[in-house]
Amino acid sequence: MAKENKTNINRRQFLKSTAVATASMVAIGAGVSFIQKYKHDENDGKQLLRPPGAIEEDAFLYACIKCGLCVQICPIHAIKLAGINENLSYGTPYINAREQACDFSCDSIQCAETCPTAALYFVQFKEAGLKAIEEVQKQGPEALKNINPFKVQVVAMKKVTRIGVAKLNEKTCLSVKGKGFSGTPRGKDFKGVLRPQSKESRKAYPLREQNYEREICDLCVTECPIGEEAIKLEKNVNADGTVSYKPKVLEGCTGCGVCEMICPTEPASIVIEAGKKYEEVYS
Amino acid sequence: MKLFGKKSEPLPPKKNEDMPHSKLGMPYKDWMGLNENRHKWRNRRWAFLIFINLLFVVSFALDLSLLEGSLSGSRLLGFYLLDPYNSFQLLAISVRTEYLPYLTMNFVIGFFTIVIFYAIMGGRSFCSWVCPYHFLAEWAEKLHDYLVKKKKIKEHSFQRGLRYVFWAGFIILAFATERLVFETLNPVGILSRAMIYGPGLILLWVLVIIAFEIVYSKRFWCRYVCPIGATWSIIGNISPVAVKFELDKCGHCRKCQDVCLVPHELWFVTRGKATQEKHYVGSDCTRCGYCVDVCPGDALNFTVKGLDKIL
Repeated sequence: MAKENKTNINRRQFLKSTAVATASMVAIGAGVSFIQKYKHDENDGKQLLRPPGAIEEDAFLYACIKCGLCVQICPIHAIKLAGINENLSYGTPYINAREQACDFSCDSIQCAETCPTAALYFVQFKEAGLKAIEEVQKQGPEALKNINPFKVQVVAMKKVTRIGVAKLNEKTCLSVKGKGFSGTPRGKDFKGVLRPQSKESRKAYPLREQNYEREICDLCVTECPIGEEAIKLEKNVNADGTVSYKPKVLEGCTGCGVCEMICPTEPASIVIEAGKKYEEVYS
Repeated sequence: MKLFGKKSEPLPPKKNEDMPHSKLGMPYKDWMGLNENRHKWRNRRWAFLIFINLLFVVSFALDLSLLEGSLSGSRLLGFYLLDPYNSFQLLAISVRTEYLPYLTMNFVIGFFTIVIFYAIMGGRSFCSWVCPYHFLAEWAEKLHDYLVKKKKIKEHSFQRGLRYVFWAGFIILAFATERLVFETLNPVGILSRAMIYGPGLILLWVLVIIAFEIVYSKRFWCRYVCPIGATWSIIGNISPVAVKFELDKCGHCRKCQDVCLVPHELWFVTRGKATQEKHYVGSDCTRCGYCVDVCPGDALNFTVKGLDKIL
């Protein structure tokens, strides 16, 4: 009898704690949904700049298990994990392009390749690389002899990256003002590294060791890892005969953020609109 | 044991002359003092736990490809390992959003490697041998026990079945909100990431849980909430690695239950409860080895089921 009583009390206590547990989980769920909606409205489409290969933000937030493998594999430490101040994005990887942009130093989009849950989706890069090789093969056996297939593949892989689009602020841009630049773009204390386009090297050098001399500032154009498909310096001859310049972002822009990192003005005159497509920004 | 609903009758209680201290011709009190200060398995376990977590930290800090990632997903010498509960949540969401076909081969490999590994190691061995939160909670538990002993606070306990309520609840929550809700609250992942990638404000949440465990309910998170532990409990049910209990060496002093992190798993050490000459602990056991260390008669030992019969 006493034992039966005890089981009854136990059962009652279990039901009670189950009810409390369920209530607390429902509260958490409601809280998450609320933050989700509230933040979505407040941010107005603004998001963190994700590493290359990132799938659409809504899906990214659940596909990312916050393991940090992409953080570890990045040779230039461009990827960081978000803190709790980013709410539901806590623990997910992002790139602060102004501090350290992705300059494709790894040559193989390793961060996407290492991602176990395809939050950074690698298959698109692999396909692009294979397709590029095929294109060369189509030109006949002669064409293959003169090229380095690895390089062809790498270039194609970089080009399909779409993590954002660069946007110019014409009010502060040096070249729009007709100004040049000489010296070290971000000062002698800047920690970021960059793989210079002028060298054939596959190594990234600290930006503070670089010196540039330009009559018209075109650092964002010359240091772009994608090249003339992504950005070019537009030259306009005005009616009065004077010449004006303007860096123009093109459809090939990957959103890697090198232009934002190297821009010598403070704040940067060219910034990445994270997660946006070219048509959304330039329509 | 009670898993399949059949309850066998307990064996008759041991006679005094059959007790191990009588066989040795020692007073019971002296016999109980045997192995008092043995900490072989505890020291091994703590060394291993610290080693594994340091390996994560060192791999990132020195850029070595030994053990990359964190406890929610990692790569050991190139082999992927994924936290199964995280994977379950992701699968639940994937079913809803049709994301399933995108999952990589590495995901499949990582999931099954770890499930197979812990199915062999058994019980919740992850908890006491790897989990950094467990390490903190062990100290919190000591402090809690001290405060209870000093009558500063009262002990509150709940039903262990609550874990499975949370287990199912967080899966449903993931499905409903399309977010890995539990991973944001998970002190294991938080601590692991904090150690490897640097601390953040979210550590306050871990502090809240620890404080609650100290002042209100012993081992609250591990015992009644953590769905990761619950997952291991399910996976580790049939494992060959276990702690074996031999009735003839037992003096029923129940010191093992005093030190055990999951005392209900040692139900058979009470006089007159054991139903067989040999028992194996169940899947809630964390394989911590406290009982193995403390047992004066060496009645409890780590074993590989089946292997001890061959040898």
